Amino acid sequence: MVPENIQTFPSTSLTLGAGARTTSLDDLESVVAMYQPRVFRFLLAQLRDRDAAETLTQETFLRAWTARASFREDCSVSTWLIRIALNLARDHTRTGRFRFWKHIAGNAVDVADVAASVPNREGSAEAQLIAQEQVKRIWESVADLSARQRTIFLLRFLEEMDIPEIAAVTGLPLGTVKSHLYRALNVIRTRHNPQSQEGL
Amino acid sequence: MTPELRLQPDNTARRPIGEGHLTEEQFGELLSTSAREPAANGSLAEAHVQSCEQCAAELTSLRECLLVFREASTAYADNELRRMPQVTLPARRRRFLPVVEPGYWVLAAAAIFLAALLPMQVLRQHAARPAPAVAASTSSATAESDEALLEDVNREESASVPAPMQTLADPTDTVSSTSADIDTSNQTSDQRKD
Repeated sequence: MVPENIQTFPSTSLTLGAGARTTSLDDLESVVAMYQPRVFRFLLAQLRDRDAAETLTQETFLRAWTARASFREDCSVSTWLIRIALNLARDHTRTGRFRFWKHIAGNAVDVADVAASVPNREGSAEAQLIAQEQVKRIWESVADLSARQRTIFLLRFLEEMDIPEIAAVTGLPLGTVKSHLYRALNVIRTRHNPQSQEGL
Repeated sequence: MTPELRLQPDNTARRPIGEGHLTEEQFGELLSTSAREPAANGSLAEAHVQSCEQCAAELTSLRECLLVFREASTAYADNELRRMPQVTLPARRRRFLPVVEPGYWVLAAAAIFLAALLPMQVLRQHAARPAPAVAASTSSATAESDEALLEDVNREESASVPAPMQTLADPTDTVSSTSADIDTSNQTSDQRKD
């Protein structure tokens, strides 16, 4: 169902030629197969709600399909899709319904499950546990970031987008993107290594 | 310790983390830039990292941590995605959207038309069917009996004394008349004998 090379795709390599881009968007099945993991992963990390991520992933592709004629060639397909997904996530987060259900949702992402998904490398059990603990800590730290910082952090370190691409997705100036990213990293760094703040 | 770092003009604004170590911005820049896109002022920060074991260790640790974060999040999301139903394509989608599906309008209109037509057709059939003779005669007989009943009612109402309250006939009158009749009949029989 999902091509294996999706996860290792650098975002820039997903940019297609002008002629091929239109063709690929018309072939929605291929677009879904190629970009669904990425869109879903981003929405899941952003919203931390399985059902919401699932619904908005579907909505993202439906919107893309509906608006495919308006797709300009100023960015890659993946950037365009992530931009749609981000807008949908923002709208979803703004609604009162989300705020209410966020507290009682049984389908919220469990940080322990994410930590348990750490790939088993050839290392000791202790190293594996440490890695799981680190993942747990980062997930918890990301939850404490502001919405904008979280978005930028996830786009950079989960989706591996470069700064100009993040600026294109968020519509923010490069300097603002960098500023938010560095602040987010500082929060993560402080949680990761509390001694780093002792020198302040 | 790299004195150049402390001598940067905007170093105070960058809030150095520890004496002579990388600033928050430099740290962020080093972390957020990958190998294919070197940092803008990477030479300075990278030179510091090469000479400062503490910053180097922290940078390496954080990079590994962020890598594991990405791997774990990706693995988790992929696992969740396998449980998720496939995105339904619009062309194959069968959603009940009457506004955008004219076929549904046609079906709904046909159903309403049939629902309205059926009772009307039944009524029309009833109206067109000739009334049975038996039914007609029954109805005329009923009308006659009704008229007779009405006449009786009118008669009773017009009477000065209601029938239940009228005086009873004298029973003796009946007896005398009866004996007279007997006498008359006896006389007749005598005459026949004579």
